[in-house]
Amino acid sequence: MLKFLLRRILIMIPLIIGITFISFAAMSLIPGNFVANLALDPKISPQVLKQMEAEFGLDQPLLLRYARWLWGIAHLRLGVSLAYRVEVAHLIGPRVLNTVILALSSMALSWALAIPIGIIVAVRQNSILDRTLSFLAFLGMSVPAFFLAFLAIDFALWSGWFPIGQTLSPDYATLDFWSRIADRVDHLILPVLVLGLAGVASLMRLMRSQILEIKNADYVRTARAKGLSETAVFYKHVLRNALNPFVTMAGYSLADLLGGAALVESVMNLQGLGLLLLNAVLKRDVPLVMGSVLMGAVLLLVGNLLADLALIAVDPRVDFATLEAQ
Amino acid sequence: MAAGLVAAAIAGCRVNRPPNDHAAAQTLYDATVSDPGTFNPLLVTDAASGGAIGDLFESLARLNPRTTLFEPGLAASWEFSDGGKTLTFHLRRGVKWSDGAPFTARDVLFTMRVIYDPKIPNSSVSAMLIDGQPIAVSAPDDYTVVARLPRTFAPILSSLQFSILPAHALEAAYAAGRFNRVWGIDTPPDRLVALGPFLMTRYVPAQLLAYRRNPNFWMRDGHGGRLPRLKGETHLIVPDQNAQYLQFKSGMTDVYGPRPEEVWPLEQAARRLNITVRKVGIDTGSLFFAFNRNPRHYVRRGVTDPRYKWFTDVNFMRALAHAVDKRGMIDLCYRGLAVPAVSDVSPENKIYHNPNLKDYAYDLKLAARILDQAGYRMIRPGVRGDPRGNPLVFNLTTNAGVPVRNQMCAIFKQDLQKLGITVNYRPLDFITLVKALESSFDWDCVLIGFTGGIEPNDASDFLRSSGNLHIWNPAQVKPATAWEAQIDHLMDAGTMALDPYQRAPYYWQIQQILHDQLPIIETVRAVTYVAYRNTLENYNPTVWGLYRPEWIEFRAE
Repeated sequence: MLKFLLRRILIMIPLIIGITFISFAAMSLIPGNFVANLALDPKISPQVLKQMEAEFGLDQPLLLRYARWLWGIAHLRLGVSLAYRVEVAHLIGPRVLNTVILALSSMALSWALAIPIGIIVAVRQNSILDRTLSFLAFLGMSVPAFFLAFLAIDFALWSGWFPIGQTLSPDYATLDFWSRIADRVDHLILPVLVLGLAGVASLMRLMRSQILEIKNADYVRTARAKGLSETAVFYKHVLRNALNPFVTMAGYSLADLLGGAALVESVMNLQGLGLLLLNAVLKRDVPLVMGSVLMGAVLLLVGNLLADLALIAVDPRVDFATLEAQ
Repeated sequence: MAAGLVAAAIAGCRVNRPPNDHAAAQTLYDATVSDPGTFNPLLVTDAASGGAIGDLFESLARLNPRTTLFEPGLAASWEFSDGGKTLTFHLRRGVKWSDGAPFTARDVLFTMRVIYDPKIPNSSVSAMLIDGQPIAVSAPDDYTVVARLPRTFAPILSSLQFSILPAHALEAAYAAGRFNRVWGIDTPPDRLVALGPFLMTRYVPAQLLAYRRNPNFWMRDGHGGRLPRLKGETHLIVPDQNAQYLQFKSGMTDVYGPRPEEVWPLEQAARRLNITVRKVGIDTGSLFFAFNRNPRHYVRRGVTDPRYKWFTDVNFMRALAHAVDKRGMIDLCYRGLAVPAVSDVSPENKIYHNPNLKDYAYDLKLAARILDQAGYRMIRPGVRGDPRGNPLVFNLTTNAGVPVRNQMCAIFKQDLQKLGITVNYRPLDFITLVKALESSFDWDCVLIGFTGGIEPNDASDFLRSSGNLHIWNPAQVKPATAWEAQIDHLMDAGTMALDPYQRAPYYWQIQQILHDQLPIIETVRAVTYVAYRNTLENYNPTVWGLYRPEWIEFRAE
């Protein structure tokens, strides 16, 4: 097992270099750099733009710039953002926690809803309940999350039960510790509901089709033939196998957490990574984009590894040997 | 369902807080769209940073937005001598920085030195080079600053509109070569040494900027009362305008600049929400179709593209000008809340706007007749050709993601189609568009806007043939046409007289030339509105900024 872990971790290094180099090159190959944002400002002369390019090192060749960036990473420095002139870590740091809390709680909500509902509709296949919930699921899939977010803040305005956007209240600094927590939770409810509900539909459909497929598998028929009770067949054989793809999916979602909520963050005005990174890409703020690409890549690879380990724990058919053989 | 219950349960445990009454706290709440990029006034290149620290710093002279003339700021008075080549400022005495240090001539000299430093790229320096020469400054004593100009230069007061930096706080960092990293957004707000009406107390990224009144601010009202009257300000950072709208309606913010489609609903709800919706004025910028006249784009391997001939043919351009349906654009894109633009200078620039220009009326029949007479005839049904028989086809672009511009381009394209001219419309993302405009020159027609200022010489880079933003043919070595040469000449002459009313005729003439030669076709200008709580007093917005913002206060109930 140690050998397996070591090998997987070592493989990550060239992978990360590959991923970051391709992103770095792509950012540099699209026309225009950060300084071009300022080119139409009549107050900024071409000479000043040249001076800025030199200051940020944008006039140097691609490979040199990438090597410099990589050298910084090797020393655990993400570099200085061009647009904000402060360390990338300082920009990303405070936002990461909010984004992760939001993403984890909305993921928990969608799973908590999707799995039981998926089971119910699969068991009651083609009943009115199945049809109704499936209809709602398709409806949910086709309504974009940002639209739900608009409805949610409209609802907040109309009902007065929830704050209208924001991660915290303007008077947050004057509150005591418990009120601060309550204030944050208060601001989280609607975004979590929006993102959570938006994710329910596809997960529930997946759960339903998994169960329907496995219900007719040979080993389930064998289990029934052995004379096991219907409850034992369902919980021990059907459900346990149906959950396997969810374990893998959880690993992949770890990376989605970072940028996935950008639109909802924008509409509901949450302090998060999404909008920061979107703007960084639009403005060609390379260090800031690369910082998040690096984080995303590491999370994806680590998540993948964790998912594999979890799969070994959950699925008796998978062990280290089969994973290595892949 | 379960989630709903949990949500309801959590919502039940409310936050324990005193009521947040903006009026009782005399704190004004408003919203801004994005985070600041820096707190260093000299490094600001974006509106968000300018807004974030705008109330922290002051310049020598202040602009009165009602008269559009300069009034004393940190300089209590100034006078020109030596035929306008020497400008002497008498600084205000007794002004203190927030750390207690006095404001003196040393601060002004330090700021100028940093601005002229080539290692510190900034947006103030261009305006402070007169024919490429810097302004020489000296300080005979602590409260006098003398600026010697290479020649008489009327826009000098506007050029000197930079924020004065505290020398005692920043000199060490500057000497150590760290100025470009000083006062970034990671600086604790209480470390910013300021002297404006407000001091920053808190910055929560992506959430808010909070300010308190500067107890030592130098300005007093007519009765000797202290200013500013507000005790604090909070700018919420809200990127989405729909959210800003809802937050204003809910009372979270006290001031809001509605989009055209929101003006009417707000007026309807004014009584219920206890707000006033007021017209501020006409947009100060200029939004126009520009046509590429750059030979670098059209001449390839000795062959000149026919489009070059069309766009430099004033008859062709006149026909196109008559095909811009400004009324339709106003009604469709601005819900009627806009006015046709005739000149590149907004009518709000009362001194320098030329009111005598006659707009090209929207008239497709007239446009077709002009084209026919100039030899651009129909070569087959629906297709018009130039005198040599080339069908009239060109590309149109604008920056993607601005719905209003998208609609305006669609209207223009449709009208030209009726004349038999085919327009291929493709919006581009902003940076790609900038690259096309300023370095590859690979574009035919673009719908683009520039912001406008009061000082007409600020448009120098756009108007002069040598200018980098002389969009239809930038950075010319010598003027390509007689009228461009004439504009260059007028731009020079306009800076030689000191009195704004003596300068105005030169700029009026430039507007007339652009209007006749049509390198650009003006479209429309939005009429801007503002909505604010009725409890606010002395809230006087103008298109050039708030009039006497220090006098704003909440009415005592």
